[in-house]
Amino acid sequence: MTARKILLVPLDPVHDVGLKMIRRGLAEAGHETMLLPPDLSVEEVVQEVMRTAPDTVLISRTLGYGVAEVLARLVDLLDAVGVRDRIRLGVGGMAVRPELAAELGFDGGFGPGTTVAEALAFVEDREYRQVQGDSRKEKQDFTAGYSYEYRHRGIREKLAAITDMILTWAENKTSPGVERAAVREELWDVDRWRNYEPVNDFFNAYAGLCGETARNFYEKGIFPPKTRRFTRKEVAALEDYVSRTAERMMAPRLQRGRPKPLVFNQYGTGCPFMDIGHIKVSEGWGADGVIHFDPSWGARTEGLFDGFLTHEEDGTLITPANLNRIKKSLEPGTLWQVRAHRGLNTPETAVLAGKIGADLTKINICYGALGAGTEPARMTVDGIWTIRYAAKYNLPFDVVTNEELCGVPAYKAFAGMLITVDLALRLGGRPVLQPLFCYSPEVMIGGQMEDNYVDFNAAKVVALKQIIDAPVWPGAPVGFLTQTEDRVQSSAATAFHACAAAMLGADAVTIASSDEAYSGGPISVPAKIDTLQAVKAGFRFFGRLELTPTRQAELWSEEIIAGIEDTLARVVEKGDFVQALYDGVLGSREDGAYPGRNGRGTVIEK
Amino acid sequence: MSKVMDNIMDALDLETFLVCGSEEEGRRLTLQMVKELGFKDADIVFIQFQGPGVRVRARAYVHRSGDVYGWLGGEVVS
Repeated sequence: MTARKILLVPLDPVHDVGLKMIRRGLAEAGHETMLLPPDLSVEEVVQEVMRTAPDTVLISRTLGYGVAEVLARLVDLLDAVGVRDRIRLGVGGMAVRPELAAELGFDGGFGPGTTVAEALAFVEDREYRQVQGDSRKEKQDFTAGYSYEYRHRGIREKLAAITDMILTWAENKTSPGVERAAVREELWDVDRWRNYEPVNDFFNAYAGLCGETARNFYEKGIFPPKTRRFTRKEVAALEDYVSRTAERMMAPRLQRGRPKPLVFNQYGTGCPFMDIGHIKVSEGWGADGVIHFDPSWGARTEGLFDGFLTHEEDGTLITPANLNRIKKSLEPGTLWQVRAHRGLNTPETAVLAGKIGADLTKINICYGALGAGTEPARMTVDGIWTIRYAAKYNLPFDVVTNEELCGVPAYKAFAGMLITVDLALRLGGRPVLQPLFCYSPEVMIGGQMEDNYVDFNAAKVVALKQIIDAPVWPGAPVGFLTQTEDRVQSSAATAFHACAAAMLGADAVTIASSDEAYSGGPISVPAKIDTLQAVKAGFRFFGRLELTPTRQAELWSEEIIAGIEDTLARVVEKGDFVQALYDGVLGSREDGAYPGRNGRGTVIEK
Repeated sequence: MSKVMDNIMDALDLETFLVCGSEEEGRRLTLQMVKELGFKDADIVFIQFQGPGVRVRARAYVHRSGDVYGWLGGEVVS
């Protein structure tokens, strides 16, 4: 590379910081640089060009006022004195657009956001090749490094007693969901399936274990409503789209220097193609992980469907082909969560997620039984097996506490979460605590968030950290019921919550799109970009700052811990976990939680 | 639908400020604007009236789930 002589000209009353940054980059690359002071006239600049005889002149202009006239006069004067043809002339800065520069006769124009590398490429007269983001983004196991040791003896002892109680109760019980999971586990070979080899043994055993809707699909070819198979042409076009996109894909990080939290968002448009479109955009704008949402009716249907299927309403069907296609579209560093947590296909979903290659799943027996409609006994039996499969397939899972949205106070929801956590630890699983960062009915009525949204959420994290050494993943998504249909407000509220989570030491965070509060149609992909950008700006703003909980947050955390211990004591006293769910110990009808009815009477004594 | 619209992944949002006397008028004007631009599958995502008029975001869905997506290219373009 030949060293060049470059004259840097801040054609502006004051601003020259951009040029100073570029000068450093050029000097490091071995070029000779000369930086003129700001506020020179065009005539003075031209005199300097004639005096110093540079190879390249880089002009910067920040002020927009009169920019076209000033730059045009500069080019004219350089022409008039006969030096224009001997120099490479570039212009950049806040007031510059490439189109304007080209129109005025510059060799290059650089708008806001131009990097030093771009300027260097221009000076060296070579094509600028954008670095493909942080292509080293690698999957992170954020459960690693946690001991899962309890820090609260009373809670540990009560949880141990409850886990014994649950496992003893479930010892001789099974369900259609557990049986289907066993068939999927034993007879469905993912490698044979991927090789298009028949898996007839599986289908022969499986269809009879399904409810009417899924059985009709397998035996009579009747599709669920508003669902169809993709055509071959569509599949070919998708493969082409994924391949073309992969070639130019970037995977930037949102966190800058901060190692955590990882940022997840959700997809589930109904259509795997559209999901893949949304996922690629999420990855491109910095999401570290994505979460699969299935249709709400899927939780009430005994049996999963099969085939590459699109669905016209919210929630994408869990089928082997749908999951497999989505999996294949993911960037290597993207974490992928397939939720198993709440319905009649919970254990089988964990098996399928494990076989297809998901990284994470989601399980909570109490929320599934109280806030998501599955009958408590069924949810308990299925939940235990789901945890076993999650452990087998090395799937950490978050334990969501969305029953808070029904009105269950945080301490009861956390007691339920910790019961699932303790079960998981006994069965070899790696659970992740998921406190809900939300404007819940509890705080709406109790006034804990009358002044700010920070203290009570901080109290939740402080409480959990005082109970157990385990990863924390606020969700899901953060800011629930604080967002409005205004996308600026919605993005800001999401970012504030994500930043609070980060500053409280959270390991991961799930964020919504700016369409979170809009219910008139599907979430749009620009709405996902809105919140990713807002979170990125928030992380940039706060950097590695930590949030020190206030005295009020500490007081509330103490109340939460006491409430958790008291709730667990009441479950122990009942001596029957399922009955405790029915009796409202972990969330009552008065709170707004109702024991689910889906799958009632389906638990079978072996 | 034009070829450019094929490239819209899912929806086109139109954000602006309309000078009007009430939210109701703003809503009517917004829907009229979207209709005049040729969009049929449209909705108002956000509208807020203050004295001078409405801050509004309208949305036209170009591709909904289960449609044939123009952005996939190739022979599947409708």
